Parts: sequence; structure tokens; C-alpha cells
Amino acid sequence: MKKRIFIVIIFCLVTAVPLTFALDGNELLKQVDRNLNPESFEMYRKLINIEPDGSKKEFIMYSVKKGMDSVASIFLSPASEKGRSTLRVGDNMWLYIPNVGKPIRITSLQSVTGGVFNNSDILRIDYSAEYNCEKFEKTDDKYILYLKAKTTAVAYDRIKMWVDDKRHVPTMLECFAASGMLIKTLYFKEIKDFGDGIVRPAVIETDSPLYKGYKSIFIFAKMKKKNLPDEVFTLNYMPRIDGLR
Amino acid sequence: MFMSKQAIIIILLYVFTYLFPLNALANEYDFEIPDTKEKPYHIGGNIEAGYTIYSLNKNAALYYQKFYNRKEGSSVDSYDITLQLEGDYKKDSAKLYIKTNTNMTQNYLGWDDETELYEGVVSFEATPSFTIEAGKKVIKWGKGYAWNPAAFTSRPKDPDDPEASLEGYSIISVDYIKSLSGRIKTIAFTPVIIPVYNDLNSGFGKTDHLNFAGKLYFLTYDTDIDIMFLAGESIDDRVGVDFSRNFTTNFELHGEAAFINNFEKKYIDSNGILHTRQSDAISYLLGIRYLNRYDTTFIAEIYRNGTGFSEEEINGYYNYIQKGYNTYQTTGVESSLKKSLSYTKAYYSDKNFMEQYLYLKITQKEPFNILYFTPSINIIFNAEDKSYSLTPELLYEPISNLELKFKFSLFHGDFHSEFGEKSYDYKAACFAKYYF
Repeated sequence: MKKRIFIVIIFCLVTAVPLTFALDGNELLKQVDRNLNPESFEMYRKLINIEPDGSKKEFIMYSVKKGMDSVASIFLSPASEKGRSTLRVGDNMWLYIPNVGKPIRITSLQSVTGGVFNNSDILRIDYSAEYNCEKFEKTDDKYILYLKAKTTAVAYDRIKMWVDDKRHVPTMLECFAASGMLIKTLYFKEIKDFGDGIVRPAVIETDSPLYKGYKSIFIFAKMKKKNLPDEVFTLNYMPRIDGLR
Repeated sequence: MFMSKQAIIIILLYVFTYLFPLNALANEYDFEIPDTKEKPYHIGGNIEAGYTIYSLNKNAALYYQKFYNRKEGSSVDSYDITLQLEGDYKKDSAKLYIKTNTNMTQNYLGWDDETELYEGVVSFEATPSFTIEAGKKVIKWGKGYAWNPAAFTSRPKDPDDPEASLEGYSIISVDYIKSLSGRIKTIAFTPVIIPVYNDLNSGFGKTDHLNFAGKLYFLTYDTDIDIMFLAGESIDDRVGVDFSRNFTTNFELHGEAAFINNFEKKYIDSNGILHTRQSDAISYLLGIRYLNRYDTTFIAEIYRNGTGFSEEEINGYYNYIQKGYNTYQTTGVESSLKKSLSYTKAYYSDKNFMEQYLYLKITQKEPFNILYFTPSINIIFNAEDKSYSLTPELLYEPISNLELKFKFSLFHGDFHSEFGEKSYDYKAACFAKYYF
């Protein structure tokens, strides 16, 4: 009898752990955020815009992020973009162009690079900073999270996120407008060990029914933890972001 | 004259033939990110070649002033090459940055070339919060796109090309930034010293004076707010304020205002007599930037130029030029026209020198699925005399680092209106710009 009770208790404990965890989709979303990147880090990215005729344009940028909602980037190439920097603090976004000489506000639906990625994709902050998980489903090897924007200032009103149930990193995202229209799909690929415990997809591809035949790709490199002062994420620091490298 | 039209054409051929890397058209791409190790130095720049044709307005006051003793046809043209070089060198927390601008022009006046140091500044970043800079530097203030009445420390920009590079002033400045966790997220203070002695910053104002300026920046309630001032003997004291805020994911609102204490306005009457009027001047601007679902961007601004001329004042200016031209035609005496030209350079050189303006720019990204193609159109409307300039522009970027641009500007207005009295009634220009 004692053995049976013991087995039942063990069974309950084992099954209760994922149930308890699974019941909190927002907690899972926070785990996804932390698995995608540390809270404070630097990285290099290559952005490739591929056009329907196969031609492409490449950009290389250096980015830093701190906390849930502060991120800054500077373009290293091509030469026509070199020195341009972008900054995001919460819902606020700015672009600094050396020739213009002062930061100007940009909006999340614009794109500083053209292509399918918009500014909110390029200056991505934690998903949990912008979205609540309304519900989720469990499939054989995935969680499906249904995310709803916390405010109307967010680029996508809803996101459907497929999450690998073992690594807790996204495999695919579908991004929707408030009207329910699919704006774009993001595919997370090529799991890579960046070191220091950072294991995440190194490639994000995206396509969109609004840009038929177009594709944009992000390739991540040299992602590592970095302590950054808050002052880095200010307008006055934008011309000097390159100095962090 | 060291070079001719042929020489410019040879340079253009060289730019197109050798500088544009044809392999950039290849379709392959790799997933490797090139060496990202930062070098202590960087050298780069751009070269732009352009051709502009001007259709002369032979009934305009400024045509009389410029062309009274010349026999040009119905149009004049200009070949231009602009080379901008920039480089920096970093050592620990110090950085040296240099930018030069060389402009070569062949037009109806002949050949001209000029090289200027646009920027040459040393900066020292003691901490991310504290930086000190000394040297020639462009410091641009204000949130307006076409105009910046609160840009106290920079040269006026051209509303027809607001993103063009400008020459800086020699300054000493400090930048102090503080991030906070309350309702005010950021505070930054940027004091600037602008000395004006002999040739140093001679274009800024009266010489032999030290001038002080400063800007205080706040980020609060998702809004950028700046408060700025300028005090000194070289130029009238002034204070300014600006703001900018994104209200939705595709709508931004900005504004800017400046108050100049005892602004000294100089203008001439119909007889060429110079008048000086002192009064407080208030300039302000309100604008929006809006992106619609079709990737069309609208920038609209309304601008009140408190330092501008009224219709009555500008009438006196145009009348004096007209009188000078009549005198030249009847007697051959050109002193009045030459005097009016010196007044133009001294007091009427601002791009939009009257009081009330509207600006609208509409930009469409890749219409009809034409890749890398961005057409736009902008209009600058003088709300006092109802004259305007209308500028459609076609921008094409077929490969990385190469821009091809065609620009057409139409100027229209009544007798003695700002755009009606330009020396040309339209101009068409094409440019090729390559970054390296």
C-alpha cells in the first residue's frame, strides 16, 4: 500500500511540474526571451534583403541591449550606411544619420533598411515587454503561444509563436495586424552555441504576404554578455555607439 | 582654370567605369559575417557627379541682378563634382574626426573649385556620461525637417535638401548625460563655447567675442524635449524649445520655437537705403511625419519665421533691383545693381527669407514593385505671397553604395513674390553618388 501511495505521489509530482509551468504562458515567454539573449549583451548581425529577382542587399550592424526594452545599433557596412545608428527605449525609436547630425524619431512600422524587417524587428526588445500570453497549446514537440500586444503602440497586435518544447526558443512566429491580417512570418533556424550559456537560433528568415517574393534574413554572430551603462541608451550617445566595440 | 568640361566628363566616366564594383550585381551571398574586429582608424567618403540645367526667368529681379551684363540663352547649365572625405583615429578614450568637402564646378561663369574643412574635432570620452570635444564640428539642434529656428549653433540648412552636409563651427563643448528611472528617463546637458575672432567662425557673427550656448534635453512621457539658449556679443541673445513624440506606430508630431531678444533686422527700401529695426522675434514650427499602409511617408510642416521679411519689406528690395536694372539699361551705370548684390549676400541670403511657409514632402517606397526606387515630391509654399517651389525627385539605388537621382524643381509666383523673382523658373538635375 505504501509503495502504491509513494508511486502515486511521485507520479503527481512529475506531472505537476510541467503542468504548473505550462499553466503560466507568460513565464514561458520570459524564458523564451532569456534563452534568445541575456539581459545585457552585444552582438553583430548581418541583414540580407533578397528581392524577387534574386538580387540582394547586405547590411552589417553592431548592436547592444540592456534590460527588457533598451536596444541600440550602429551600421558598419555598406559604406553608404556606415555610422548610422538606431536607438530604441520602450516604444521610442530614433535614427541618427551622420550627415543629418541629429537624431530623428522613427516609427516601428518604418524600416531603416528596407526589406521585410521593419524597425521593431531590427530593434527587437523582449517579447514579454510588449506582449501578454493569452493562451497556449502543447503539440508533440512544440508549445504554441498566442500573444496579445499590451498597448496599441506595438507593431504587431497579435503573434502566434511556436516554441521548441526542449530548448524553449522560438521556431516560428506569425505576426498579425489588429484586423487579423497576417503581416509576416519569422522562421528561427540554425541553433548555435555562442558560448557563455547562450544557445539560440543564429538565423531568422522572414517573408510576408504583403511583400510577395521578398525575403529578409538576419544572421547573428559574436553574441556575448556585456555590462552596459544606462547612458549608452540615450540620444546624445547615438553618434558614439561604435566606440563600444 | 585648370580643368574644362571635357575633364569633368572624363572624371565621370572614370567614376562609372572603375569605382562601381560590377561584382556587386552578383546574386550569391554568404552567411559569414566579415571580420568584425574594430580598427583604430577609418577612412571613407563619397563622390557625387551632377549636371544641372537652369531655365532662366528673364523677367525676374534676381535674373536682372545676376545676368544684367551677360548674354546667355534661355538656359544655363552646370557640371558639378563633390568629393567628401572623412576619417577618424581612435586611441583609448580619445578620437580624432576629420571631414573635408571639395566642390568643383564648371558653369557659365567658368571653372571654380573649393576645398573646405567641414569638421575636424578631437573628443575625449571620460565616461559614457561625460564627453568633451574641441575643434570644428557640426552641432545641429531642433526637431524640424525643413527648417530649424532653434538651431543656434549651426549654419542654416537648405529646405530643398535638408539632409545635405554642412560646414561646422569651431567650438568647445561638453556632453553630460544622466539616465534616471522615474518619469524623466534621461537628462542631458550640452554647453557649447563658440569663439569668434578674426577668421575663426567669422560667419557666425560679430568678431572678437566669445559666445555661449547650451541645450538641456529631457526624455519624459515618451517625449523628447529640448531647451536651448545662445548668449554673446556676436549675435542677438536667443532661447528656444522643441519637442517630438511618436503618438502611434506610424505617426510622429514635432514642434520647435525660438525667441530672439531685440533682433536686429536689416532691410533696404526702394531707394537702396539700409534700415535697421529692432524688435523681439518669435519663430515657430509645427510638423508631422506619417506613414500609411501603402508605405507612403508624409512630412508636413507649418513655419512662422519671426526674423523674415514682410511683403512690404521685400517689395522695397525687389524695387531697388528693378530700378538699378533700369538705370543700367538707360545709362550703363551698374553701381546700384552691384550694391543690391552686396545687400543680397549680406541680408537676403537665407533660402526662405519671408515670414510664413508650408512644407509638404510625400515619399513612396518602391512603387509598382520597382526595386530600390524611391520617388518623392516636395512643395515649399510661401503663404504670404502664394508663390511656391515644387520638386519631384526620383531616387534609384541599383547596388549598394550607389545612388542615382533625378530632380526637377519648378518655381512659380506672381510679380515680386519669393519664387516668382528667382533667376530661373525651373531647373532639372541628375546626380550619381558613390560611397566608399
